[in-house]
Amino acid sequence: MTVAAAPDLDPATGFPAGLAEDLAAASLLLARRLHAGGTLWCASPAWPHHAQHVAVEFVHPVIVGKPALAAVALAAHQLTPTARANMSPGDVLIAIGPAGDPGVLDLVRRAPAWGVAALWVGSGDRPPAGSADHVLWLPDDDMAPHDGRFILLYHLLWELAHVCLEHRGVLEPEPDCDGPVCITCSDEGRLAEVVSASGPTAQVRIDGVLEEADLALVGEVGVHDLLVVHAGMAITRLDATAGGTRP
Amino acid sequence: MTTGSFLYPMLEDGERDPAALLADLARSAEAKAVESAQLRSTTLADRAQDLSRVAAAMASAISAGGRLFTFGNGGSATDAAGLAALFASPAAGRAVPARSLVADTAVLTALANDVGVEVVFARQLMAHARAGDIAVGLSTSGGSANVLRAFAEGRRRGMLTVGLAGYSGGAMATCPDLDYCLAVDGQSVHRTQEAQSALAYALWELVQDLLGKLTRLESEENR
Repeated sequence: MTVAAAPDLDPATGFPAGLAEDLAAASLLLARRLHAGGTLWCASPAWPHHAQHVAVEFVHPVIVGKPALAAVALAAHQLTPTARANMSPGDVLIAIGPAGDPGVLDLVRRAPAWGVAALWVGSGDRPPAGSADHVLWLPDDDMAPHDGRFILLYHLLWELAHVCLEHRGVLEPEPDCDGPVCITCSDEGRLAEVVSASGPTAQVRIDGVLEEADLALVGEVGVHDLLVVHAGMAITRLDATAGGTRP
Repeated sequence: MTTGSFLYPMLEDGERDPAALLADLARSAEAKAVESAQLRSTTLADRAQDLSRVAAAMASAISAGGRLFTFGNGGSATDAAGLAALFASPAAGRAVPARSLVADTAVLTALANDVGVEVVFARQLMAHARAGDIAVGLSTSGGSANVLRAFAEGRRRGMLTVGLAGYSGGAMATCPDLDYCLAVDGQSVHRTQEAQSALAYALWELVQDLLGKLTRLESEENR
């Protein structure tokens, strides 16, 4: 019998390389959005109790004196429609589940169209790079969801987000252009969710904003289909069953 | 007088560049993860004997047809739900009748509104529990009144009563209605909850192991 090579975990923290930095960056994003009036939406089709634990942590902190923050656990039933109806641009989604979780995949791939930042907490096989804004992942391990380590990850998000909230200077809105390629001024295609379609054009939601998209290149579309839109032109239709890929 | 925080002295209130904060946050996350790992591992080691005793009692109750009821408040409510799910629908192993008493909002709100929050678990045990069933209550403080009240009701009905608590057990440590109290000696609520979850998972593993052995024993006897 061969034993799989032990994943490269720090023996003291139990963390893979980069996880602490990912947690820090995710916490700052979360603090900025909560500070600006956003809500944290928590979803875990596989383990609904984890979603509820995150939400209660933020709404009613166990540490006296910490402010109540807006967080909600979404029920697993009718997850995507409930999220679509309730989430607003500037909100944050924290999804907790394995890489192949269809409910999580559907949420994280639609989140950019809704203007929602997505954090994905899980263990085991890692989702493809770029599946969410921050992927907070523990390597191959069946026990992490049950033995306190998932709870540690979202406790840390809460603890670090509160540290950020105490440093007002860093809470300014995220800059529009924060890398070599800016999504708003480059020629990249952007993810769009169809709101309504009539004839040659569709009303779509891109980064939470309603826009018109020309359908000449993609043909007929249905409500809630995902498209890639470039300069007002829908250039690709994303397969509804594809993994958590984003344009 | 400094305006920066004690933990993050590099950052003054007017600091706008997040790079220094992000670096500090990452180191802080690592330090807390070390604390968590240490508390989880020392708790499992220190409670090894108690865990074996509780697991033996639970496995024999389950073998005799006992059902598991879990309960708690807030984060402990979610951990209670997680524990019930682990027993009732494990990824592998034997499924055991188990459910949490926090799942039904109609029952919870009816009881909290009509009587009071102190009876939300005890009243459900009155309706459902019978001798030989198992009550597992979680309370990070060890002092949640509705959890203690449920233990009293469970004891009256002949249930096996098990408490999972922080702060060296709090009121649970001396609760006369508890058969067993598994306690975490933590100072931080968060680290304590993580260690409680490690205890709960270890308990599930031990019970699974014992149930497997009991099943093998029975099949040998029946041969």
